[in-house]
Amino acid sequence: MKNSFDEKILEEANDWIKTNQKVVLATVIETWGSSPRPTGSRMIVNEKGDFSGSVSGGCVESAVVRECVEIIKEKKPFKKIEFKVSNESAWEVGLACGGEIAVYLEQIN
Amino acid sequence: MQLKTLQEIIKKKENKSEFAIVTNLTTGNSEIFEKGKSLSKEFEKFADQINAFFHSKKNGIIEGTDIFVESYIRPIKVIIVGAVHIAQYLVNFASSLNFEISVIDPRGYFATKQRFPNMKIINKWPDEAFKEIETNSNTALIALTHDPKIDDPALQHAIKNKFYYIGALGSKKTHANRCERLKEAGFSDKEINQIHGPIGIKLGGRAAPEIALSIIAQLVAETYKK
Repeated sequence: MKNSFDEKILEEANDWIKTNQKVVLATVIETWGSSPRPTGSRMIVNEKGDFSGSVSGGCVESAVVRECVEIIKEKKPFKKIEFKVSNESAWEVGLACGGEIAVYLEQIN
Repeated sequence: MQLKTLQEIIKKKENKSEFAIVTNLTTGNSEIFEKGKSLSKEFEKFADQINAFFHSKKNGIIEGTDIFVESYIRPIKVIIVGAVHIAQYLVNFASSLNFEISVIDPRGYFATKQRFPNMKIINKWPDEAFKEIETNSNTALIALTHDPKIDDPALQHAIKNKFYYIGALGSKKTHANRCERLKEAGFSDKEINQIHGPIGIKLGGRAAPEIALSIIAQLVAETYKK
């Protein structure tokens, strides 16, 4: 198997740390159904909520950012979160595509 | 993840090594797995399963455990023959893709650092240049000079070494002549037909960046065909 992409998120994480930002790495660790991004997809978030990369096509990023900022505040080293199919009637975060994903958040220290 | 581990991963990526990151989702610990390198106690008992994931280049959680494996595979080698205008755009488009590019051109005024910063440039004829690059069925060739003296030896090398992608720039007529020359050189129709010529998928544009985009699109498509 070959793949033709290299998103350089880890390199960017290192650059952020060099400028004294706190960084949480979010990684898609499991997917079910038609999830928008494959296992191994990544995004990084700093303590201010700035982010780069993605774990879905924009569906759950806002919630991931919130969770990441939270674990920095609470000094939690890692956390696993899951997202399921969204409920159409609410403004809640979810995957409109009908897939489910599990995302692992970890602080880089 | 420890900063030390992150920096080690970045270094391994720069060195184009193959490795995997293993993470214990219960303890939050992670480390780097490499072929032949022993794992720490925490991961040791999963060594066989980690190995299996690594060999099939898979990412995911090992069934029945809390161990997540992410495999890093070596970038695909792409050899561009002809340090021409299109090549400059190709290099730009490919910068966010997992390709390790080398540019070959015996013409010194084309193959300059100034035109191709941060790029491996080999200022030699293809036959000489290929002695410096290890090539195999994971290598791609993009021939852009449409000068038979330069392109043909590179195409011959690519066919003989079973490159997974071979593309050559030039009009239909140029390509027909090229095929004729390869036939005379003893290559079979099957071998010659592997060459994508005229190179690229049809986008319609004829400007250098448009041709470069059509070549990159074809290269990515062919990469996933295997």
